[in-house]
Amino acid sequence: MTAPISRLVVNDRPIDLAAVPVEERLLDTLRWRLGLKGTKEGCRTGGCGACTVLVDGRSVLSCLALTHEFAGTTITTVEGLDTDPVGARVRGAFEEEGALQCGYCTPGFVMALTSLLKEQGTEASPAELAEDLGGNLCRCTGYATIVRAVRRVRGEAP
Amino acid sequence: MTFTVRPDSDAKLRGRIAYATDLDVPGMLWGALVPAPVARGRIRTIDLRPARAIDGVVAIGPAELAELLPSATADVERPVFPSERIVYHGQPLAAVAAPTRALARRAAHAVKVNVEELPAIEEIEGFDPAHPGPNDPEVIAHVLARHGDLDGAFGSADFVLSETYRTAGICQVALEPHACLAEIRGELWHVTTSTQTPFGVREDLASMLGIPEERIVVEGTWVGGGFGGKGSPLLEPYALLLARASGRPVRLALSYREEFQLVRTSLPSVVRIESAVTAGRIVGRRVHWRLDAGSALPGRDFTTGYAIGFIAGPYRIPAIEMEGYAFRTNKPPLGPHRAPMAPQCVFAVESHTDHLAARLGVDPVAFRRSHIWKEGDVTHLGQKVGAFGLDACLERAGTVARTWRKDAPPHTGVAVGVGFWSTVTGAGGEARLLLSPTELTIVEGEREIGSGSVVRGIVAVAEAVLGISRDRVRVEYQDTRTAPFDSGVFGSRTLGALGQAVEKAARGLIDQLAKRLSTPPGSIHLAEEAGELVVVFGSNRPTVRSLLTEKELARGGLSSEGRHYGTSGAIDTERVVDGTFYPYTDFTGAAHVAMVAVDPETGAVRVMRYAAFHDAG
Repeated sequence: MTAPISRLVVNDRPIDLAAVPVEERLLDTLRWRLGLKGTKEGCRTGGCGACTVLVDGRSVLSCLALTHEFAGTTITTVEGLDTDPVGARVRGAFEEEGALQCGYCTPGFVMALTSLLKEQGTEASPAELAEDLGGNLCRCTGYATIVRAVRRVRGEAP
Repeated sequence: MTFTVRPDSDAKLRGRIAYATDLDVPGMLWGALVPAPVARGRIRTIDLRPARAIDGVVAIGPAELAELLPSATADVERPVFPSERIVYHGQPLAAVAAPTRALARRAAHAVKVNVEELPAIEEIEGFDPAHPGPNDPEVIAHVLARHGDLDGAFGSADFVLSETYRTAGICQVALEPHACLAEIRGELWHVTTSTQTPFGVREDLASMLGIPEERIVVEGTWVGGGFGGKGSPLLEPYALLLARASGRPVRLALSYREEFQLVRTSLPSVVRIESAVTAGRIVGRRVHWRLDAGSALPGRDFTTGYAIGFIAGPYRIPAIEMEGYAFRTNKPPLGPHRAPMAPQCVFAVESHTDHLAARLGVDPVAFRRSHIWKEGDVTHLGQKVGAFGLDACLERAGTVARTWRKDAPPHTGVAVGVGFWSTVTGAGGEARLLLSPTELTIVEGEREIGSGSVVRGIVAVAEAVLGISRDRVRVEYQDTRTAPFDSGVFGSRTLGALGQAVEKAARGLIDQLAKRLSTPPGSIHLAEEAGELVVVFGSNRPTVRSLLTEKELARGGLSSEGRHYGTSGAIDTERVVDGTFYPYTDFTGAAHVAMVAVDPETGAVRVMRYAAFHDAG
């Protein structure tokens, strides 16, 4: 059986889905088929947020998604944010605030915050943005610096 | 030291750091473990044939061990696969490898395991610990220490407060699940793994597999969180045996479900603490504790012997008895989790201290400060207390607590607690530095786990000693064949111990350069000029290049090694009745203040405010 639309675009690269099994998770397609290991595999049950990617700009947990669900969409992984101006602002704020430790959750946070900034433009307050990052866990418990990075990205002196 | 941007920031923010979960090599197979279906039992049969019937699957169990390790004398305490007795739920009974993750899982489910279930031993209370019955857990370690006139203290006390505190095991739950990649390269058993202690893993693997250390190579990856849970081998022996059996590289990683079942969570504890109080002072204390060690306790006495350092609190008490038992139960082997044993002990002692102050009607911070160790006091085991800033931390914490209490809303409470830790700088390490004409290289066997102690801490030490900037210092990671030995990244030791080894090696470089310039070492330092490193020596600035021999230049630069093996004070052995005890190497402490709100309807507790005061040395 052939799906009606059998392609998706990942970081500007068109991907043919014909060879992807219907039960394959988006996380596994990205990591093991396309070699995009910046998307991290944590709990694989939607609990930690380490696997967050953008689907048409909105954040999605790639461990809970089947690749074929996203035929016809555009997917951005952390590698795809390399030259993105919003992604650069987020990275700069995290770097300045030291908002990372072991780094395993970091790409997920970068993706989620980038998505929120793109989606909400300049309207959301830092407190609202921090609340909206609730789906991402940092087991090193570096939340205070992450919240400061959110304030910095909003132009507020931490 | 002012804050500087972490050198690993950009790579981590761009997702360019490779963790063990990301390892992927051509021809690699995916491994999976076959878990024991019961917590205690006898194995009747393990049938690997249904798994092997799946195309491309390699399966191994106890019967294959002898074939794979012909000369092995396997570790009895930690068998790779049990041949008869199952001692915890999920214990690996066999392992499989297959070309894909899905096939490996299918093959693991296909293995037919036939066991006789026996009642599991799980309780560590309700029996005489000195004489456990046949259905009680076996004593795995015992420690006892005593000092002072206990009978006198308790006999004449104004009051005695007796309490019991219990803690559950806590799983480390690093965000990165355990993962490794194993490959047999000729005679070498090579494993790339997420570990806090590459050399410790090599030593343990040698013991578990019964093959010499020099045939095992451990290569550490960046660690996506450890918290004590990535200190001893877990998946490595299985991945190596599967690689041996299949002749292919094998990747083995835990699912989160397995993570909760198999990792070495902290030891559940029961602490009974009794204090005799006279004229507002603690005059005597008895502490008896029981630890659930799971099915095996790496280090055995270490855990109980170490706990004794924290079990009675950092307080002056003239008469004391401390006794601990660790029991073997049908749980996975348990282990360290963020300051092994300290949280269990501190929870009991600090809660008890608050209750003593409440009973006396005195301020709990003032009560602590009137008992707290200061430099020159002796510990419960008779060791002299070194520099210790806990009282200063308490003073500051007390001020904050008083301020917060003034505007505390209803259903909130404010409390202060102290914690202390013998930073494990006694665990030794060695450093190797290489000074080229343009940069300094620090050769290391272990990777960063998150705290910054490797990527930033030891680099800062080298910068400070040599007088060069951070972009002139590089850390090069090597495997256990060539890296200098180090105990690992744990116990708050890395910067303290490895940092001192780096400091000595850096001073060795200065000494060598000074000698070549016929000047005392104190008269020179390094600087940078036109892309070259130079030695600043009075008004002279010779380049490092000009001071190196042809041979040194060919080897990449001037090398220097430093070693740090910490020393600790002595305990008074007269106080020891049974077991092994450990002196403190460093006295470090902190006082924290928390404001919590309790929902009167549901009992839910929420932390509203938190402040921490640490003695940073």
